[in-house]
Amino acid sequence: MANSDTPSSATLPPRLPDPPPPASRTVAPSATGSVRIPEVSAAKPPMAPNLPAEPVEGQPTVRVVIDGTEVVVRKGTNVLEAAKLAGKDICHFCYHPGLSIAASCRQCLVEIEKNPKLQPSCQQTVAEGMVVHTESPTVLEARRALLEFTLKNHPIDCPICDKAGECTLQRHYMDHDHQLTRVDVPKIRKPKHKDIGREIVLDAERCILCSRCVRFCEEIPKTGELGMQFRGENESLDVAEGHPLDNAYSMNVVDICPVGALTAKDFRFAIRAWELRSTHTTCTGCATGCAVELHHRHEQAYRIVPRFDATTNGHWMCDEGRHTYKELEPSRRVRRARVDGEEVLLGHAVAMAARRLRGRGRKVAVVFSAAASNEANLALADLASLIGAERYIVGRPAGKGDDVLRDADKNPNARGAAAAAGAAKHEGELALELAGRAYEAVVFLDGTFEASDVVGSALCAITSVCLADRAGPLSDACTIVLPASSWAETTGSLINRHGRLRVLRPAWRAEGDRRERADLIRELVLAMGERDIGSARERSRAIAEQHGSSELAALVSDAKATRPTLLRFSHSRG
Amino acid sequence: MTIGVKKVSLHRTARDQVFLPAILEGLLTSARHFFKNTMTKGMGDVDTIRYGEPDVDIKTYYPDRFRGVHRLMYRDDGSVRCVACMCCSTVCPAKCIYIVAEDRQDNAEKGPASFVIDELKCVVCGLCVEACPCDAIRMDTKQHMTPTERREDAVLGKVELMSRGGPSVATQGGLGPEFRAVAPQADPRFGQ
Ligand code: SF4
Ligand code: SF4
Ligand code: SF4
Ligand code: SF4
Ligand code: FES
Repeated sequence: MANSDTPSSATLPPRLPDPPPPASRTVAPSATGSVRIPEVSAAKPPMAPNLPAEPVEGQPTVRVVIDGTEVVVRKGTNVLEAAKLAGKDICHFCYHPGLSIAASCRQCLVEIEKNPKLQPSCQQTVAEGMVVHTESPTVLEARRALLEFTLKNHPIDCPICDKAGECTLQRHYMDHDHQLTRVDVPKIRKPKHKDIGREIVLDAERCILCSRCVRFCEEIPKTGELGMQFRGENESLDVAEGHPLDNAYSMNVVDICPVGALTAKDFRFAIRAWELRSTHTTCTGCATGCAVELHHRHEQAYRIVPRFDATTNGHWMCDEGRHTYKELEPSRRVRRARVDGEEVLLGHAVAMAARRLRGRGRKVAVVFSAAASNEANLALADLASLIGAERYIVGRPAGKGDDVLRDADKNPNARGAAAAAGAAKHEGELALELAGRAYEAVVFLDGTFEASDVVGSALCAITSVCLADRAGPLSDACTIVLPASSWAETTGSLINRHGRLRVLRPAWRAEGDRRERADLIRELVLAMGERDIGSARERSRAIAEQHGSSELAALVSDAKATRPTLLRFSHSRG
Repeated sequence: MTIGVKKVSLHRTARDQVFLPAILEGLLTSARHFFKNTMTKGMGDVDTIRYGEPDVDIKTYYPDRFRGVHRLMYRDDGSVRCVACMCCSTVCPAKCIYIVAEDRQDNAEKGPASFVIDELKCVVCGLCVEACPCDAIRMDTKQHMTPTERREDAVLGKVELMSRGGPSVATQGGLGPEFRAVAPQADPRFGQ
């Protein structure tokens, strides 16, 4: 156990994100609280050299004819992107809109009039008056033949392959080839299930040599661990001896690999892709707030994958963020309210908390959280002004950042929470004052705060209310625990480091007595006999209006917008 | 052409009206069948199979494709053939197959850590057998699910399912290099 006579490191203030300059923020401790912050537009995600084909105001365009449809596209885009605009999805493996163009797979060949040979559409830049055929008999035959060639040495491990169900090769085979094998020579064998790094397992036989992963490692994290070795049909992907694939973005290669050659150790054999449901939400791992899909089934999360967002994260996300789904582990969830260690009904716990916070002249502290949503922080601000409480703001300790995506500030909503809290004191002061027994009651918005033993024993002695979604040291130390919904069960908003509104979508309905934090605080306020401060949903609606966020507005007004999609009905990701 | 018309008299005789002779006739017929089919050797005209009696080999009566209680096949080394691909549990209309996959640490790579079928939920459709790419699950045991006293006993695990199993020699992952010789029998599309 930590010795209690020397202050442990947990009582020292960890670095907290710089609050935004006071002039740019509206301090609003009222029911109509606002977290509006001017956007910083300088920061741009790692974007691709390949721009989408949609014409942009003020930029030159060209006119091309694709399968008889005339489309106007941005000058300099490629035929493949132009065809997407014309509603034609040209089958391809090696092209990825977020990476440079290799044109190594030749799957995307198209016929261009006045051109004697078929051309790879991913590499062919559009030209004025170009006439393209993507479905002529020659093109279809070339597609089919190339697929057969790709499959010649493919092991067809689909039953044991993690990519099955979302595999681009499977999809193209079904759409364009669909013939029986003509191969009667033994297949080339290559290393299988080879551990090539912290997160990744390589199956070299399944690799179709598209080099997407190689280009990714060279272009995005710029570490270049992966490379091709040998020639001809023995060519295979590998890492150099002693240089495993362990950059901070390594798991993106699993998503971009069109086949199951690179699979994540974390997701390996956990569940089949077609059983998953997908919810579009925001990563809560750091202040960047990457757009992600949470993949889940039966109220259990299985993985997080990035979702394209041109303003924030492009096509990518970091490995650290992908592991945040482990916070949602069902065994750690707080399902029932607790008062003094006894499980009680939620209403009972709320009434008890209200009674103990209410007393005249009580010295109360409220603790905002940089990891909780705007709605929750604003509700707490209302509670604080109603009972005249002292304000503190806490956050997760700083971690590693870089200039690709990761931010050193590991709080998803540092700016929103700071704006909602107004002039609040920091973590170190809270620890000191709690240890010095300066308060008779304290309300924590979530379990982020690391309580040392001294603080822990102080918390046991006073009225300490914690709105916890999962059990942790803080919720164990508090006398009243109210079960709150986690970020995967919440409709809410965050404000990222650029000042942009990021939206949290609920993946499943919170079970047990779990409620949104803003709703719990509202019930607490009502139990105190105060005026209604508004529900979480009303707050979300107000925030959506202030920020002009149609995404959040749709979420609060339309029940369908919250419904997860079944992955088996979506296209292969890869 | 004339059509012959048969006239049926609807007049009921006294014999019909007392009903008694007809009842006795019926009883007599039943009694005749009863004694013929229970007392005579060879069981008379009865087609019922005396299921469960030791001297009756039930399997000879059943067609080859009869769907009995499930079994799991094994490989040459005695380990389970199933690779936990979840095809059977996905296709199962009764959703009564529960599989948890694990890493096998050998060349087979993937296998079931647990494989459970709830035979009480099963609707005996045989789709799981059709779906299996590995010839791992079969219903050719020609056994009915035996009645159990407790529901839990009808939930079969990997060990019970494999205890009915046998070795399967099907080539895993397709017909193999000799496919030209065997393919036309396997799939008529090869003949084209
Ligand atoms: S990569 Fe695709 S086609 Fe190849 S074994 Fe895996 S799922 Fe099957
Ligand atoms: S491992 Fe995947 S992404 Fe990399 S070259 Fe092979 S097929 Fe392409
Ligand atoms: S026989 Fe039909 S219902 Fe029974 S386990 Fe197989 S697929 Fe499911
Ligand atoms: S379909 Fe066959 S191999 Fe796949 S999980 Fe079922 S029994 Fe196992
Ligand atoms: S996608 Fe164009 S050559 Fe690979």
